[in-house]
Amino acid sequence: MFEARQLMLFYENMLALNNVSLQCEADRIVGVFGANSAGKSTLMYTLSGIMEDIQKKEQMAGGERITIRGEIIFQGRDVTHLKPSLRARAGIILCPERRRIFPECTVVENLMIGGYLANSSQTEETLGYVFNLFPALTRISKRLGGFLSGGEQQMLAIGRSLMAQPRLLLLDEPLLGLSPMIQYMLAKSIKEIRNQRGAAIIVAEQYARPIMPIIDYGYILENGAAVVDGTNKELMDNPDVKSAYFGQ
Amino acid sequence: MANQKKDHRKERLDRGIKVRTDGVYAISHWTEMTYLLAPRALLIGGLLAAPLILSYFPYWQRVLSIICIYALLAIGFDFLANYVGLVSLGGGFYVGVGAYCAALLNSHLGLPPIVTVPLATLIGGIICTILFLPCLPLRGVYFAIVSLMFPLLAARIIEALNIFGGTDGIMGLDGFSSGWVEQYVLVCALLVSLFVLRRLVIEDVGLVFRGVKDNDQAVKASAINITTYKGIAVFISSALGCLGGATLAHIYNWAGLSQFGLDYSIIPIAATVVGGGGTLVGPVIGCILLVWLSEELRDLGTLRIAVYALVLTAFIVFKSEGIMNFATRKYQQFERWVHI
Repeated sequence: MFEARQLMLFYENMLALNNVSLQCEADRIVGVFGANSAGKSTLMYTLSGIMEDIQKKEQMAGGERITIRGEIIFQGRDVTHLKPSLRARAGIILCPERRRIFPECTVVENLMIGGYLANSSQTEETLGYVFNLFPALTRISKRLGGFLSGGEQQMLAIGRSLMAQPRLLLLDEPLLGLSPMIQYMLAKSIKEIRNQRGAAIIVAEQYARPIMPIIDYGYILENGAAVVDGTNKELMDNPDVKSAYFGQ
Repeated sequence: MANQKKDHRKERLDRGIKVRTDGVYAISHWTEMTYLLAPRALLIGGLLAAPLILSYFPYWQRVLSIICIYALLAIGFDFLANYVGLVSLGGGFYVGVGAYCAALLNSHLGLPPIVTVPLATLIGGIICTILFLPCLPLRGVYFAIVSLMFPLLAARIIEALNIFGGTDGIMGLDGFSSGWVEQYVLVCALLVSLFVLRRLVIEDVGLVFRGVKDNDQAVKASAINITTYKGIAVFISSALGCLGGATLAHIYNWAGLSQFGLDYSIIPIAATVVGGGGTLVGPVIGCILLVWLSEELRDLGTLRIAVYALVLTAFIVFKSEGIMNFATRKYQQFERWVHI
């Protein structure tokens, strides 16, 4: 359903993504793991199209030249050079790193903004679903986004991207800066989203421990290249992955 | 070409001579020295020779003086906006304060222009800094609005209280002894302030300035009083404007309300955009271009402003990096297609 072929990305002369190929079928969770600066966020930006935007801005301001090579195929359609807004319309929704909540809007307003692409019955249904999935949000639905705790903000960010009716949900570091308990809770919710909403999910994350058990297939990024890939069983049995991500 | 583009990318590399001249090899051969000196010599030599070349065109000599005054304001604006993070629209206020200081010193104390100009620079800088002190905690658009208020306010106060000659201004000031003095004072002042500012921003104090721009809380947490540093920066920037204003008063033998005009606030900003912000030399080039363009368009009458606005818009939309950044890149780097 979703396929990225031989993605290469250069920031000026620095190679940020080196020949990354990645596949994700419907109803699957794909994990992308890597250390800082491995290229996870770059990959997510490239897949969601935000990179096209950054590229254009840099070009206008005479900054770094960003070169993107390779192909991104979504539901049989080439979306490699599509604008981020059109990709979102096609169903590729990014839940950005550091959450990017609208701090001056309440929780419900944040969710409603996310539902811009949905019709009213979808909005209503998804709103109910999000409050059902994250009951913690019900209590604070009138509070401003900026006053929420990290965990609540992350739930809100995921909820907001669900409101856009994703067919492919890109989660960029959803566990960043959260306590282990909330990390496991969110991992469970991500699995539930896959089961109940039928969306394909790609998760980029450093913390493999909570995410690894829920994924169907995973890639390990290192210096911009996908060095290891396999099902979660294969990855967890790989001695290198074990020592790097599970400390064994 | 389409096929070639697919598995090729355009690579941007520093020229060998640029890399060599970054280090000690800069003095190894005349080519390296020329590479470094040529652009600087072009600007310095060009500005110093301009009054001589223009001596056949007396009208353009006066234009050169105006260019220098705008350029002084523009490097002051560029320094304040791109190195300290204070976007100041108070250019008109600096010019006005400088002009009135010089006029008062000249008409009341009878000092000659060669004394009033430096004195007005200093006194004007101090007056502007003291008046701006209460606004220094402001940032971004708030500071811009408050600084725009100053020239408007000053003109109205002088008009309403009928001080300093009221709407007539202060007339009958001494002029410079000749056109040469006028132009060389301005050109030398411009070159010296350009040199000093370019050095200042890479010194330790320049580091603090840039820190204030990037993250003032982190600077505060390093036990540095940012208001002091903002005050110093405003003093430098406003003194440059006052220098321009003082010379302007002696050029026209008159200090009046139009010297608080918004032209002196807006054109330096436009020049910074055209020339390239954060380069300090860029605004000078921008001023030369903009003032020259505005003189050339004089025949068009009222349409002048329309054409002027179009050129500015085009620059902002299509080349927002500015001339200087673009030229530097072309001078220091080359591009080629490489196979991936």
